[in-house]
Amino acid sequence: MSQDSKLPQYRMGLPIPHSKLGMWLFLATEIMFFSAFIGAYIVLRAGSPGWPTDANITHIHVWAGGLNTFVLILSSFFVVLALEGMKAENFAKARRYLCLTFLLACVFLGIKTYEYYGKFSHDILPGHIPETPRMAIDKSMREMKQVVDSRTIALANFKPPAKSEPAKTEESVELAGVTDEKTKEITPPVEILRQKLQAELEAPDTSESRKKELAAYFALETKFIDLNKRALNESITLTEMNQELDALRKNPDYGVFLAPVHHLQPIIYGNLFASVYFLLTGFHALHVVIGMIMFVIVLIQGKRLCEKWNDYVENIGLYWHFVDLVWIFLFPLIYII
Amino acid sequence: MSEQQSHSYVKYSTIFFALCICTVLSILFDFIDLREKSLLGLKGVVLLSLVVLSIACAKALFVMIYFMHLKFEGRWKYVLLSPTIILAMGLTIAMTPDIGIHYYVDESPQVDYLKQAQQATPENGSANNAEKSHVE
Repeated sequence: MSQDSKLPQYRMGLPIPHSKLGMWLFLATEIMFFSAFIGAYIVLRAGSPGWPTDANITHIHVWAGGLNTFVLILSSFFVVLALEGMKAENFAKARRYLCLTFLLACVFLGIKTYEYYGKFSHDILPGHIPETPRMAIDKSMREMKQVVDSRTIALANFKPPAKSEPAKTEESVELAGVTDEKTKEITPPVEILRQKLQAELEAPDTSESRKKELAAYFALETKFIDLNKRALNESITLTEMNQELDALRKNPDYGVFLAPVHHLQPIIYGNLFASVYFLLTGFHALHVVIGMIMFVIVLIQGKRLCEKWNDYVENIGLYWHFVDLVWIFLFPLIYII
Repeated sequence: MSEQQSHSYVKYSTIFFALCICTVLSILFDFIDLREKSLLGLKGVVLLSLVVLSIACAKALFVMIYFMHLKFEGRWKYVLLSPTIILAMGLTIAMTPDIGIHYYVDESPQVDYLKQAQQATPENGSANNAEKSHVE
């Protein structure tokens, strides 16, 4: 390019390594990516009067978010120290801090898993949340019907153990009602099974323990039919239904089977809230996982870590700071406001 | 360069502590619960959002300027970052009138129920109390 070699060589582009430029450009696209979600969240939040904010309803705990913020900030600090170590050719120090960062990322995901577990166990999932008392009562009746039906199938299959029915409650209901293409044999409808059980209960040769089980099942079923009738003609309120369900759960005979029936809690805009929550935190968690993979790549170098890796460590550092940055905004937006 | 590096170690830890203090501050504001209070004509959620988001912006700037070394970079940083930041904010602002501001009548069951719930507070209160009994 230059004809005279004595002239100072012109360097094309920016005075930074290409990889770093690439990383910054990538981070610029990432800013757009997250700001689309965060922007959507802000706009939806502002447009929905009565957005759920009560921690007892949404099961969002400020302490968990705050702890995660601290974990990420600390890990960001460690990444900076690791880069310092790399630049000072103190690779042992760099390795130590990268390792600590990786561990902190694990802690972050651990706390996140705990939070997600809380959401799943209270069924705070997009599309699952009743938003009015009516919807809550309908949902509890659907869940209870599943429990009763799966209990019917379980009891009917008790005698011939050769044919095993899937343990999943949701599947078994579908199988009982609709003939799935995947099932070769046509499973008898729940009603027929129920009649069989009724006959078995009345039969004299049924064993005592079996009779007790069947009696418990029929008690549960009667209770369900009663509650369902009241729910259908709208003569039961949300509080009453919760009291009834709590009483059923305490029943020694069939209380244990009612675990899949959730406590009724209508949340206005709950589904929108859950969608946004899982979208934002899920994509952030995905970024954390990708960051961890990149840390592993440098950590498995072990003692071979040398100054060739300087740019790499700097770039994953930049990426990690960005992940931290996103969380810095997500924390107040989701956990506090 | 070496001189800069030797004291930058101290500086990084200062930034780290500043970030921690900011986090504690935002948690404190959550506990104070600014929703009920008003200040400078702003009140409720607006005030809380303003305070907490400005703390977040301060933290973000600390991270970007010091941890991401933007302070020590050339002018290319402005070329690279200003368009994205302008576009990112523009996106949110562009969406606001459509979704964020209700200038059309909405017939959502949520809003209907909210009105009902506000009218009949005693029943709602008892439902909330029942909910509190099973917090993890």
